Amino acid sequence: MIEVIGVNKNYLVDKTHPIKALENINLKIEKGEFVSIVGPSGAGKSTLFKILLGLVTPDSGEITIEATSVKRIGGIIEKPALYEYLSAIENLRIFAGMQGLPTTRIALEEHLIRVGLPIHRKDPVANFSMGMKQRLGIAIALLNNPSCLILDEPFTGLDPMGVVSLRSLIKKLTAEFQLAVFLSSHLLEDLNQLCNRLYVLHKGRLIRQGNTQAIMNACTHQYLLTANNLSQSTSLHHWQHQLKGDTAEISIQPGQVSDLLAALTNEKIEITSCIPQPDLLLLFEGESV
Amino acid sequence: MKRLLITECFKLFRQSKTYYAIASILIIEGIILISAYFEGTNIINLLLDNLRKTFYFNGTLLNGNLLQYLVLNTLWFHLPLIIMIVVSGMLTAEYKDKTVQTVLLQPVRKWQWILSKYIVAIGFTVVMVGLLFLTSYWLCRGFFGEGDLVVYLDGLSFFPAAEAATRIQWSFLAGTISMVFFAVSSLTLAVILKDVTKTWIVSALFLIVCNVLLKIDLGTDWLNQYALFKLNDTWQYFFQYEIPFRIILLNWIVSVFYIIIIAAVGIFIFHKRDIG
Repeated sequence: MIEVIGVNKNYLVDKTHPIKALENINLKIEKGEFVSIVGPSGAGKSTLFKILLGLVTPDSGEITIEATSVKRIGGIIEKPALYEYLSAIENLRIFAGMQGLPTTRIALEEHLIRVGLPIHRKDPVANFSMGMKQRLGIAIALLNNPSCLILDEPFTGLDPMGVVSLRSLIKKLTAEFQLAVFLSSHLLEDLNQLCNRLYVLHKGRLIRQGNTQAIMNACTHQYLLTANNLSQSTSLHHWQHQLKGDTAEISIQPGQVSDLLAALTNEKIEITSCIPQPDLLLLFEGESV
Repeated sequence: MKRLLITECFKLFRQSKTYYAIASILIIEGIILISAYFEGTNIINLLLDNLRKTFYFNGTLLNGNLLQYLVLNTLWFHLPLIIMIVVSGMLTAEYKDKTVQTVLLQPVRKWQWILSKYIVAIGFTVVMVGLLFLTSYWLCRGFFGEGDLVVYLDGLSFFPAAEAATRIQWSFLAGTISMVFFAVSSLTLAVILKDVTKTWIVSALFLIVCNVLLKIDLGTDWLNQYALFKLNDTWQYFFQYEIPFRIILLNWIVSVFYIIIIAAVGIFIFHKRDIG
């Protein structure tokens, strides 16, 4: 559905020193697929998104987008940019009106309901929380039924409840509209839950790509395990670990985690959580694929 | 295009700064009228004391026509400055809030969107000059009545009341073209500079430089007549004893040409430039 072949983009700081923002980017997103891209700040994620959304022209390369809708891709870059002095419904009226969509009260309220926003608020969106602005931004991005949604750091600035709520909304909308979603986030746990495939961008180059779980596993050698009576465990000593109260940081390969958990269960250790701790340096700056 | 024009008008008139601008123009107008009411008679008597011995003036000289002429003189600086601030803000605010990205993520043509801003900016300018004309017409005549107009342009000129009113009307019309020139220029500066404060400063500088260069002799008749900044006093030609209609018409044509060129440059740059 979206295919990027050999895209390059340089930014000129001065005439002699161009900065390579993107170098030979190749990627593919299929219809209905949930794909994410991660990388440290300045890796080129937003530039890539802006190129896909047509805001920035690449220096070279080819982008093919197969879509039937007039609006091929909807998206939010960095944070939802809205007319802060207007209400939610007026923002929708502006963006729907400029593309010839119905701007009746009922039609606009439907867009608000779709993203779980209240329909009776008439105050400017400047008063809205970041979560509500994200929802309104998504409602605007979904106007005219694009077949792909690009979300750049959608969870930034949200409280934990907001993250959970927005994640559910994205899941619901993608299922409802058969959307392909391409998103970036620093919340790796969320990407693991949401995305089938993962790309890792470092200094403008894709250094990893593939199944999200497989990449995360390849970069995870530590787990944070919490259990009520963990200090009584003897099997824990088979692995290098650091115990702090009921929590242990264990160095272990992903394939051995099930063995560890089984051993702890046999010892009647009451495990409450086991959270992978990806090695960010390895994930973000690992060797080129 | 019609849809874009409607949304641009909606945004412009939903922003408080638009009403601050209108209020500023009315306040300046009010200050001119109040100062004229309290100080004007003394100043005029002082200036024209000798002439009164030789000529007969119909009505008082501190009349609605003179006051409207004084209001008309805000076209030199006050009005274009306020218009430039509002008009450039139509784009710089979109850059600052990044709504330009949200707009261009919709199926909207870049050149059409920026063109709609130019058209709305021109419409807004016409409305502002129209508002200034109408309010000054009613207020000046309402409070100060009608009378002959005395104007100092390379010497004193006197115009009978009815003729003065017509000349003032034509002047406002000519002034509208100058104001549109400044409005379009400020929007093009906004396209180039993007930043709110930088655009305000450069717009104010542009206005001042235009006013300064207007008075400077450029050496050749052709340049003195048709250089970019030499056309902004066309509205004053209506207060020459013999109105030079041919020159005025030519100036209008050249002004419109400049306006189109400046807008086209802005549209071209905006269309070509990435929205980063």
